Amino acid sequence: MADIKINPRRKYLRPEKLPHFFCSGCGCGQVLNYYTQALEELDMDPEKMVHIGGVGCTARIPVYIKTDMLHGVHGRTLAWATGIKMMKPDLPVVIFAGDGDLVSIGGNHMIQAARRNLDVTVVMVDNMNFAMTGGQVAPTTPEESVTMTTPYGSAEPRFDTCRLAIAAGATHVERWTTADRVQCKDAMKRALQHKGFSLIEIVSQCPTHYGRYALGTGDPQKVIDWIKDHTYKLTTADSISEEEKSGKLPCGEFYRVSRPIYQGTTVMSGKEDK
Amino acid sequence: MPKKKASKERVLSGVHFMLGNYATVEGAISAGCNYFAGYPITPANEISERMSQRLPQVGGKFVQGEDELCSVFSLAGAALAGGKVMTATASAGYNYMQEGLGYCYAIEAPMVIVDVQRTRGDNFASQADVYQMRYGASGDYEAIVVCPSSVQELYDYTIWAFNLAEEYRNPVIVMSETTIALMRERLDIPTADKIELYDRRYTKKTPDEYHPFEALANQCPEAAPIGEGYHTIYSLNPHDEYGNIDWDPIVFDNLYKRVTGKITENADKICRTESYMMDDADYAIVTYGSEFRPSIDAVETARKEGIKLGVLKLCNVWPVPENAICEVAGNVKKIFSVEMNLGKYVREIERASKNKCEVVSVTKNRGFVHTTDEIMTEIRKGVL
Amino acid sequence: MKYPLRISLCGFGGQGIVLSAVILGTAAVTKGNKYVVQTQSYGSEARGGQCQSELIIDEKPINSPIAEKKNVLIALFQDAYEKYIPALEEDGILVIDPDLVTNIVRPVETTFELPATQIAVDIGNRMTANMVVLGFLSECLGIINKDDLLEVVKDNVADRFKEINTKAVEAGIEYAKEHNMYHRS
Repeated sequence: MADIKINPRRKYLRPEKLPHFFCSGCGCGQVLNYYTQALEELDMDPEKMVHIGGVGCTARIPVYIKTDMLHGVHGRTLAWATGIKMMKPDLPVVIFAGDGDLVSIGGNHMIQAARRNLDVTVVMVDNMNFAMTGGQVAPTTPEESVTMTTPYGSAEPRFDTCRLAIAAGATHVERWTTADRVQCKDAMKRALQHKGFSLIEIVSQCPTHYGRYALGTGDPQKVIDWIKDHTYKLTTADSISEEEKSGKLPCGEFYRVSRPIYQGTTVMSGKEDK
Repeated sequence: MPKKKASKERVLSGVHFMLGNYATVEGAISAGCNYFAGYPITPANEISERMSQRLPQVGGKFVQGEDELCSVFSLAGAALAGGKVMTATASAGYNYMQEGLGYCYAIEAPMVIVDVQRTRGDNFASQADVYQMRYGASGDYEAIVVCPSSVQELYDYTIWAFNLAEEYRNPVIVMSETTIALMRERLDIPTADKIELYDRRYTKKTPDEYHPFEALANQCPEAAPIGEGYHTIYSLNPHDEYGNIDWDPIVFDNLYKRVTGKITENADKICRTESYMMDDADYAIVTYGSEFRPSIDAVETARKEGIKLGVLKLCNVWPVPENAICEVAGNVKKIFSVEMNLGKYVREIERASKNKCEVVSVTKNRGFVHTTDEIMTEIRKGVL
Repeated sequence: MKYPLRISLCGFGGQGIVLSAVILGTAAVTKGNKYVVQTQSYGSEARGGQCQSELIIDEKPINSPIAEKKNVLIALFQDAYEKYIPALEEDGILVIDPDLVTNIVRPVETTFELPATQIAVDIGNRMTANMVVLGFLSECLGIINKDDLLEVVKDNVADRFKEINTKAVEAGIEYAKEHNMYHRS
């Protein structure tokens, strides 16, 4: 009988929660996998951290991590994180949010937290639609996509979340796809070590909804191939014509700078005139 | 419940002439509040403004959030991270907070929310949100709502609210309104050793022994610090005593019965009322908040006219002080329910009176608290 | 002094009406050991220039915060005067700035004309008319003694304005003395 090998990173998970509830071929499982690799390589203990998920498929990722976790309200992840960081500034807080959670219902919270440079890591899994509710259009849905609420194709332009975050004041911003295994892990490691607001966007396949409705395939591999065709790497950007870049999202490390982190709206410096 | 005294450097002991909104802040600071988040709205702004000055002085954190949702959800985060937390808003802003309140009731986060009620769109006085205080959020839960009637009580009841929040691990609402919030009045702040505070009950168990939502039927669970290995899921969704999200009907039943039971089963311990001239009263005013003030003057006037009138003041409206109201109903010919809306809480008074006497609704929604004359007009009609 | 004393101060925004009410209330509570309720007109009716603040001063705790009839009305502006004069008791006390309240619509037996704004201009700062009024009330009605009032004034104004405000209070007191304007009940 062959030895049963146990994944050494299973220690980060809640065994009683497994198997996970993600659809087969969903990118959320990959993201969880990359994240636990990042934790392991940094020797970080999720039990000494706080993880936050809002509502949606991505919000379920931290449910499987053995950690203190806030969950179950749509779009307010950064508001929760703000309170936690004000009380425990040294406690690492990592947020897993879908594109709907972060830039639709929670859009203003994201902009303001980025502006303040709240010291948190945000992992946004961008599956280009509202998946848990059945595949409706999202602010991140590519134009002309057919979804459950855009039967004639989406007539709305798509948000570039990374550009939005940089404009708002985020101090570390990267985008990768689920196909970029090592890059995702390394980006998460940089984020976990960054002092300030980190946003890691991971463009991900949703074969169940976006794949079937917008791309006409429920095959995860085909959806990943489509994502690869519709993204390009910053490192190769110079060799691609503007025409080829059109309608495609760039991937890479966009921005990483140092700036004072948020410690409250008004902070005594000790020099106040009494 | 672990108890301690207020800390001296937080308490501005002495006689003050203070704005109601400021007294609310001083109550919170005395109670150990160390986190406040708020969003601008009149007539609650003076609370945020003074908090922004006072909290940094005592080592606390002040956040002006991007909206009321940021305020209330950041309170949840700060409370879980060990903070004694407060926000303040006014009617329209309290609407926005319902989403967050629902979460805070579900995960049993202690916090104080001040709602300085106003009329729609402007700062006239009103008690029209007395039901929203209790029933604003979705789902099954019980609220605790205290109703100060003066600047002094804004201070005292805010401390009481913090203690109730810790004792029951529940949001507690301070029902303020324009009349008292924007009034300046004498405020006597006692010395710190006279102020008793409740500490959060933290578990002594190890993470392996600890079940985050396990508690007796009429109690709240013990808290655990976050980020220290207790790996708890704080979810809005139905959860069992281990914190596992579960839509099993039995899990629903246990959870909702306990989070409501910890309040309803302790209603007699929570509820406070005050009686004025009730010993020989034939008629009683039952009232709350600033409407208590003209009601007291009405008793003086009525007694001069030979009407034996008394007042039962409800220091909290939720949970309903049912026993106190029922007892009054059994002893008088009529109850006059005086409130600054078109007749809301009168339904609770009628219910609690159990048909023992007639209940007359004395209402006003004209931007100001009743005058004594206005109340007397209704009393005279009612005793004919 | 007969209690409860129900005072209304009115004028236009920028005259420091509310601040003067706050100072008077603070002095009565913290120095005079009285009970005081102070409110101000809020809401849209108070906008467009008018400003009013009410004080009830008593020796016992005050219940109803609304006093429909006032014993004392201080009016520093014609429109405000016209709006609030109906609330003054028949035997009430009226204090007006005669340069700003020129048309008396209802004669009141006990009326004091205090050119507070002109006095303030004369001592060098128009903004201190409210302090002239406080000094005057202290001397004329005896509701608070001068030293207590000056102490509270100093606690409630910025350092750089302490001197001019003190001067204004003293000018108000002097005006009452010079013109023998007293009403002690």
